[in-house]
Amino acid sequence: MLKFLFRFGTPSLAVGCLIMAVLIVTNRELPMHLFNAANLQSFKILFISIILEAFPFILLGVLFSALLQVFVTDELIRKFTPKNPIAGVLFGGLLGILFPLCECGMIPVVRRLIRKGMPAYIGIVYLLAGPIVNPIVYTSTFTAFRTTPEMAYSRMGLAFAVSVVIGLLLYKFMRSSPLKATSAINGVQHYDHSHDHSLQGKGIRGRSASILSHSSDEFFEMGKYLIFGAFLTAVIQTVIERSTLESFADQPMFAYLFMMAFAFILSICSTSDAFIASSFSGMFDFGPLLAFLVFGPMIDLKNTLMLLSTFRVKFVLALIALTAVLTLIGAWITEVIL
Amino acid sequence: MIHHLIRAVILTGFAMFIVYLDRTGEMVLYIAPRMELYVKLSALGLYAAAIYQVYAALQKRLGRQAPVCDCEHEPSPSLFKNCVIYGLFVFPLLLGFLVPTGTLGSALAAKKGVNLSGSAAFERAVDGSPDAAQQPLEGKLSGDAMDQLFPSDEYTESHAAYGKLLYKEPLITVPEKQFIETLTTLDLYREAFIGKEIEISGFVYREDDMGKERFAVSRFAMNCCSADALPYGLMIIWPKAMDYVEDEWVSVKGTFTTSSYLDNEIITLEATKLERMKAPESPYVYPDLDFGL
Repeated sequence: MLKFLFRFGTPSLAVGCLIMAVLIVTNRELPMHLFNAANLQSFKILFISIILEAFPFILLGVLFSALLQVFVTDELIRKFTPKNPIAGVLFGGLLGILFPLCECGMIPVVRRLIRKGMPAYIGIVYLLAGPIVNPIVYTSTFTAFRTTPEMAYSRMGLAFAVSVVIGLLLYKFMRSSPLKATSAINGVQHYDHSHDHSLQGKGIRGRSASILSHSSDEFFEMGKYLIFGAFLTAVIQTVIERSTLESFADQPMFAYLFMMAFAFILSICSTSDAFIASSFSGMFDFGPLLAFLVFGPMIDLKNTLMLLSTFRVKFVLALIALTAVLTLIGAWITEVIL
Repeated sequence: MIHHLIRAVILTGFAMFIVYLDRTGEMVLYIAPRMELYVKLSALGLYAAAIYQVYAALQKRLGRQAPVCDCEHEPSPSLFKNCVIYGLFVFPLLLGFLVPTGTLGSALAAKKGVNLSGSAAFERAVDGSPDAAQQPLEGKLSGDAMDQLFPSDEYTESHAAYGKLLYKEPLITVPEKQFIETLTTLDLYREAFIGKEIEISGFVYREDDMGKERFAVSRFAMNCCSADALPYGLMIIWPKAMDYVEDEWVSVKGTFTTSSYLDNEIITLEATKLERMKAPESPYVYPDLDFGL
């Protein structure tokens, strides 16, 4: 109970303060009128639709992760992962082309890969680049930005560059495992997945039971963060007006920050966010839109919660900060060059 | 064991919810048609997992260790925490089954900001060619004059071609299938279409600045799920606009023109005929990905 308070007390206080700050900045009363029927309807539809949309992908992710657990030995993963850090980072960045997964399905898979002996920095590169550098997202971006095909190229390029740089930095500076320590969290999940029981399953029955067991457990583990993230996203979308956010976006630098914050809040899938971005193209320049398209799939509200379930808090915060800064700089440079 | 059973119930609940949405046809409110198949498949997955949980519960009952894997992800012993976690899963189910479903309407459109000039992805050609536009509309235009009316670059080519098609129609109906594309074309080549008769349907959306004689006929455009839905609309001028309340579904016929709103010149219909109508089965429109291909 006490541990629970410690764990969630600070973040929820922070969220509360943030909401208050927004209210103060926009000079509003406490929004009692927000609890009317129309807003409840919008909230319900948004909330459930985010969950429904994520279900197929999250199921695919946990299934894929369980298949890895049961059928792929640790040795095989070690054998296929390049030893050289630069080759490894490039390999991680391009893995999405072979295994396109969106950000919801990505986290269980990457966690499994790291537990099975893939160096953590390569796993993180796949985590960041995978949702963007893949054929599906390329096609949808190209379709949405038919008038500016450079957008699709720069999106792929920048996402790849940002994740590779982060991978190299992690290789250089990361000392301990980024995964949560197993026993530290009051025994909720006592993971010691380093033991190899991948081939323990006897015959088809054993293996399929093992797959189902792993995937349904992981589904519940990821699901609670997904639902909480969907809840927050739906509340924010029903409550905050876009025009309020846009008033922050007058200055050029703010435009970048605004679009990145907007991507964070929206938490939409990387396959459809290009269409959202293109609806903004009258309002924003190339650079801020690119920042939206690169930052959103890597880091957003929904998947931050899922990251926190897997990785250490400090590591997640550092990762978010690093991604934000690099995306900002990268998008700005691209805007200047083009 | 109790955990396995609770989980089984939750998983079945979600699978049933998806089936329920499909049966009642409410699925279209949440998810775009092209995503529906995947959501239905995930119902199968959830159901399989539920069956497994029942199986695991029975195994435990019989005193057997859950199969193969001894790394059981044991749930927390704290009762309070379990209630919170399972509550989190039950909440969307209760909300989904018990709260009656409406559709997205003006309240959310106001938050998201209605787009009153088609897709912003296309720059309007600066002054198409006023000379051609001033020609009498009834007159048959030669191919050259058409090209002058609908100038295009490599990106707006398909819109120009579509514009030429629309131009020949005596009454241009903004269709469900290419709602955004049609509005964008009308906006791109607004000079050419001035004076044409247009028909459009959608829900009534009103902003304070619109005053008593105007409202916008709007639709939500959805890509994957309603979280990415954005409202698009066309401004209507009608002297008795106040007779229509927000979120009412109307079908409007009118003459195409432009008007100024909040310092922007936007495309507008001067309504000649308004009719209330029943909300269509799917309140959304979807971008036509095959447009111009």
